[in-house]
Amino acid sequence: MADIEIIDNGIIIATLRGELDNHEANRIRSHISSSIFTGQVRAVIWNLEGLGFMDSAGIGLILGRMRDLAPLEGETLILNPSSTMEKIFNFSGLGPNIRHCTIDMAIREIGGVLHEQ
Amino acid sequence: MNNEMTLSFVAIEENEALARMAMTCFITPLDPTIEEISEFKTIVSEAVTNAILHGYECDGTSIVTVHALIEGNKISMTVSDEGAGIFDVEQAMEPMFTTRPFMERSGMGFTIMESFADNLSVESVIGNGTVVKFEKTFSPVTEVSRMR
Ligand SMILES: Nc1ncnc2c1ncn2[C@@H]1O[C@H](COP(=O)(O)OP(=O)(O)O)[C@@H](O)[C@H]1O
Ligand SMILES: [Mg+2]
Repeated sequence: MADIEIIDNGIIIATLRGELDNHEANRIRSHISSSIFTGQVRAVIWNLEGLGFMDSAGIGLILGRMRDLAPLEGETLILNPSSTMEKIFNFSGLGPNIRHCTIDMAIREIGGVLHEQ
Repeated sequence: MNNEMTLSFVAIEENEALARMAMTCFITPLDPTIEEISEFKTIVSEAVTNAILHGYECDGTSIVTVHALIEGNKISMTVSDEGAGIFDVEQAMEPMFTTRPFMERSGMGFTIMESFADNLSVESVIGNGTVVKFEKTFSPVTEVSRMR
């Protein structure tokens, strides 16, 4: 399950729940992708706090949306994955995108980065 | 504890969750930690998804078979398909290698399986299918692991 919220300053918050496998990734991909293409999106925050399971399909999904964001020079942050998920992200080079913090703190970080440019 | 099971199902994506659920139930009596359960589930998910997707292209009729044997606190498993087979196993096991980049496969399946499993091996013949074999030993129960 995925809740997609676009907040005022062009940040998408994708809150994932349940189990993210190949089947689920195929179901939610176009939904997330089309919200990235709706306009002035500058960042995607993946909120994984409530996600119970993820395999390499999650890596494909997030890398794919990073490709969507690349022309917009958008940021990607991955919030609060479980320790098993964190290992999977580290194998895949996504370790630097992980944060253990609240959504508000992540929004502030992205706001800050954009402000400095 | 000793136990043994075989589970067979047709190649549709919905059965990825079925296999994870069945295998999680099967190891529950070993009292694994949360971390051990989620690593084990991930290995099962990767191997079964590969069989359904790469072995059979989700054809909805061909059969994937999962066999598991518990001896003491160790599980030995095979995930088998009689599908496409792998052209070059060594290359397929390299991180980021995928034959389906257009489907947003990350090519990390085998890397994850090898990291989370003990003694993973892959036998494959083009046109005949693939067998992925692995073991995982769960830690003996302690008060600490129970609390996690
Ligand atoms: N059961 C299988 N049958 C046929 N080919 C397979 C099978 N499992 C894996 N492969 C091949 O090995 C490659 C790498 O697998 P994997 O590491 O899981 O990455 P991914 O599934 O993301 O492609 C696949 O792209 C596929 O070509
Ligand atoms: Mg795979």
